[in-house]
Amino acid sequence: MNQSELIDRLSEQTGNTKTKTKEILGNAIDVLTKQLVDGSGVSVPNLGTFSTKVNPEKKVYNPHYDAYILVPEKRVVEFTPATGLKDDVKYIGDKDE
Amino acid sequence: MTLNTSGIKMSEKITFKELVELIAEQSRQSQASANSFIHELVSIIESGLKTSGSVSISGFGKFELRWMNERTGTHPQTGEEITIPAQNKVVFKPFKALREEVNKPYSYLKTRLIREEYDAVPAGFEEEENADSGKKSTRESAAGKASFGKKGKDLPTVDELLIIHDNPYFSGGKRQPEMEPSTPLPAPIVFSYEDKIAGEVQRSGSFKWSYAAAVIIALIAFMLLFFMMRDSAGPDIAQMPQQTEQPLPSPAEQPIIDRENGAAEPGAATDADTVQTEFTTDTYNVEAGQSLWTIAENRLGNPYLWPLLYQLNSNILDNPNLLPAASDLNVPRISNPDNLNSFEREQVALGYFSLYEWNRVNNPDEARYFLWAVGVFSPELLEAPPSQVNPDDLAFARNR
Repeated sequence: MNQSELIDRLSEQTGNTKTKTKEILGNAIDVLTKQLVDGSGVSVPNLGTFSTKVNPEKKVYNPHYDAYILVPEKRVVEFTPATGLKDDVKYIGDKDE
Repeated sequence: MTLNTSGIKMSEKITFKELVELIAEQSRQSQASANSFIHELVSIIESGLKTSGSVSISGFGKFELRWMNERTGTHPQTGEEITIPAQNKVVFKPFKALREEVNKPYSYLKTRLIREEYDAVPAGFEEEENADSGKKSTRESAAGKASFGKKGKDLPTVDELLIIHDNPYFSGGKRQPEMEPSTPLPAPIVFSYEDKIAGEVQRSGSFKWSYAAAVIIALIAFMLLFFMMRDSAGPDIAQMPQQTEQPLPSPAEQPIIDRENGAAEPGAATDADTVQTEFTTDTYNVEAGQSLWTIAENRLGNPYLWPLLYQLNSNILDNPNLLPAASDLNVPRISNPDNLNSFEREQVALGYFSLYEWNRVNNPDEARYFLWAVGVFSPELLEAPPSQVNPDDLAFARNR
């Protein structure tokens, strides 16, 4: 599902115009992003928890230089799906089901 | 709460109520409608995952189902082996904007090449450098030689990468504009000397400055050897004592540098065992397009030694960034660019100190990097500066 499909369905469900829906969604994303950047994370019920962690620096082999490269530490987003969501989609598309 | 190693201030995770309040505030909506909006959003994401397997939210990321095959794992409590059935996993892939935003505190960090093993060093050069020390085993030499041709081609790139990474302008927490080629900076590549020495002692250690640094050192040594052989007056570099073991003379005891323009007598080899008090200098006629940096690179074997030229030619140079063409420079003969003796280190440090003083007046924002370079070459000089220095710069240079 892409952004416009999402907006379509959201505006249908909430009764707002698409423009309005887009704006609120944008604001919600801004708030989430801000919480991820400045805070330690945010939980959304039934969806999951967004948090950040710092990956320590690591050594990787680069075949182009035929040498090892030190990749510096990096802060990344982590997402842990909520249990409900996880279980609901667990066997979607499973051929045996 | 996420652990954070670099001291970025982190607040606790906010509750869903606070999240709804924030969204309501920003969208000028009631909290009730913001709340239902989020719930709708979540249910649509879930149904989107069920129907199409992925949901993208622009500016944020993409939720995706990933099919995990059956695998075996251990029960977290009992420790016994269990079979985990094949199932879907929900993954979230943040888009670039979010990734960059989150990584902002670390964005100044760059990847860099490291030397993994001594075996990886092209041994053609290494052998020259350590011809008499006998520390290299033949196995290592052979291993290096076998792949030398291939590595040789990549050398310039490796060099560039290191210089970019080592540029102090890139590590101040924020990115600075790139330097002009004509104004080389005191970059900390000199650390590779220490690494080199320590590498001899403890080869298995986890040195980050790995292979690339060694390649550059080897190249420099090779170039120096070439020049020395041409002049037929080369000091025996292999017998140089390691400079870390020599006591450094205090700056007050430094003799005045010989500034005579006369060419050096042939055969005036530097005796490593006696304390050197002045440089043997050659005269070098500057050609158009050259800078102190390039001359230091070509004649001294290490571009970072360029302050030495500035120091030795202070009678004709004032602005270090301007080098008059066709002027005659005194170029010192140095023993070994990867292993400076204490006198040479002292002089390079004094050169950086002169540059610091010049930049303090003409370029105060960048002056502190030169002061820091003083400490790299001679911590003693930084402890007792020959003249008054700005206390902020001194603190920066000492703590960097």
